[in-house]
Amino acid sequence: MTHESHGDGGAGRDSLSGVADGWRTLLDRQLGLLALGSAVVFVVASFLQLRYGSYPMTPAEVFAGLTDPAIVTDPRVLAGLLLGGEFPDVANTTLIIWKIRLPRVLVGVMVGANLAVAGAIFQAVTRNELASPYVLGVSAGAGLAVLVVLILVPVLSSYLPFVAAAGGTAAFLLVYAIAWQNGTSPVRLILAGIVVATIGQSLQTGLFFFAGNTGVVQTALSWLTGSLTGTSWSEVRLALPWTVLALALALAGSRQLNVLLLGEQAASSLGMRVERVRFGLSALAIAATAISVAVAGLVGFVGLVVPHLVRNIVGTDYRRLVVGCVFAGPALVTAADVGARLALSPIQLPVGIVTGLLGGPYFLYLMRKQRQLGEL
Amino acid sequence: MQTPDTNDATTDSDEQPAESAVVGSDLEIGYASTDEPVVTVDRIDVPRGEITALVGPNGSGKSTLLKTLARQLGPDEGEVLLEGEDIQSYDQKALARELGHLSQENDAPETVTVENLVAHGRYPYRGFFESLGASDAEAIDRAIDLAGVEDLRGEPVGNLSGGQKQLVFIAMVLAQDTDVLLLDEPTTFLDLHHQLRVMETVTRLNEERDVTVVVVLHDIAQAARFADYLIALDDGSVYDWGPPTDVVTEGLLCDVFDVEAAVRYTPDPEIVPKRSL
Repeated sequence: MTHESHGDGGAGRDSLSGVADGWRTLLDRQLGLLALGSAVVFVVASFLQLRYGSYPMTPAEVFAGLTDPAIVTDPRVLAGLLLGGEFPDVANTTLIIWKIRLPRVLVGVMVGANLAVAGAIFQAVTRNELASPYVLGVSAGAGLAVLVVLILVPVLSSYLPFVAAAGGTAAFLLVYAIAWQNGTSPVRLILAGIVVATIGQSLQTGLFFFAGNTGVVQTALSWLTGSLTGTSWSEVRLALPWTVLALALALAGSRQLNVLLLGEQAASSLGMRVERVRFGLSALAIAATAISVAVAGLVGFVGLVVPHLVRNIVGTDYRRLVVGCVFAGPALVTAADVGARLALSPIQLPVGIVTGLLGGPYFLYLMRKQRQLGEL
Repeated sequence: MQTPDTNDATTDSDEQPAESAVVGSDLEIGYASTDEPVVTVDRIDVPRGEITALVGPNGSGKSTLLKTLARQLGPDEGEVLLEGEDIQSYDQKALARELGHLSQENDAPETVTVENLVAHGRYPYRGFFESLGASDAEAIDRAIDLAGVEDLRGEPVGNLSGGQKQLVFIAMVLAQDTDVLLLDEPTTFLDLHHQLRVMETVTRLNEERDVTVVVVLHDIAQAARFADYLIALDDGSVYDWGPPTDVVTEGLLCDVFDVEAAVRYTPDPEIVPKRSL
């Protein structure tokens, strides 16, 4: 059963997408172009990442290293990368690409996808376009937990990824508890998030005074601004399964997000248990954020800018928005990390600084161009 | 108050008195911000298969009462029965399959197409991972047809006028395929043409699919013309209840609406307001 599309060939937004045809028709021209554009940015950026650095290579060496049969034709080695295992003896270029540069690109991809999708979800949950993955206190909680460990209990430093994720989740639960009064509302959630973030921020700044040396301060700063420096296969292994799970659930939940966008009353009239769905989706977004925080710290602006940019191209339908975010998020983070790693070489900046430098002007542009910004 | 008698001119050929699809009893409804209940109703009956209009001046509690019937608002006291069962005992989705509710203000993202918006009406029929099936597509087609918005099917909601939007939201509720429909001021703010189209859709729905309708109306003449029964609210309690010819009188307009008016039936109701009291 199909509903014929009346003309316009995808020029209008959300152009007729025969409801009964479901997912297939959702891939229209805008989403296709977005995915293609993101893929191009990603390929170019990751080529730069693989080629340049303290040991520059020729394009031929990059290609040869990437397709080195000693790795790609050996299932045991590939499994070893994903499950943990010995790295075989290979040529230098292969080693540098596979052991050092490639995992960093892959971690960037996962960070970008998780943050973009989490931001998109929070923007629907709070019905506010300016919401980010950190809007419900995650940054405060994760940052504070990291600082406490680094400065007060340094013996736990090797568990920092878990500490950060746990701190973020705890702050989220605290925000929810504060916002709860016979149920929540978008505004109360945002306000509670600000309360927790403000207190967390103060405590963080206070803790810096107790930092013993500049090394600790630098480690702390790179967590707080978000950095991909030094990420390896162990980060890939840590994040991959959760990322796949979180993105799959986000995709499945996108219809709930669409209904939530109609407003609480309409959603509950349609049979949605709004509080339960809202908490479930928030928890999912927090999980996606926590994954990214665990491997890269608090990378800013990605979760704010990417959903925005994607929405401007594909429209508000979350079934497409989530797919678009999975493409555009990784492209942005990979491209930003090129700047973070190579621009001031040999000094490596935290990637969060570059995403901030890119995100700020984009919002300035939006502010000038769009009259209405904010409510969804 | 009792269910309507058989001698009511408006009841159909049934010999049986129309049963109530929805009953509210001993209701006291308030908001968190108010100490005193806003609405106090001993009993309210919504006859099955009829159109019932809730009328009353601003602030008389029409919307509050409707929200309570729709379980959007829990009463402090009393209960609402839907088909004889306490409305609180319904599962959320099960309720949305029995009872549709359209609130006064509706909002949708501008880029959503009419068709996709109407498809949300199938929410209560779908599981988390379920996609739209043939029966859903049929219900969506039927709803779009009933609301008369076939020509708007592919339009983004942002391109529609206020009246068109209202018809589309009504189509969304119709896609829920419920036996009871609660509409909160569906004609307010619309131009005359769209007011009539909304009311015609409601009437058609009632006649063709035997849906029980409760509709809050601002315009008492419109209520008198389209509804089978009227419930007139005054300051949070029921002032009068019955067929329009019994309820809409010069006395009602004077007592409840503070208006001096002339009321005639020719046989359509004609209400000519003279001055405020």
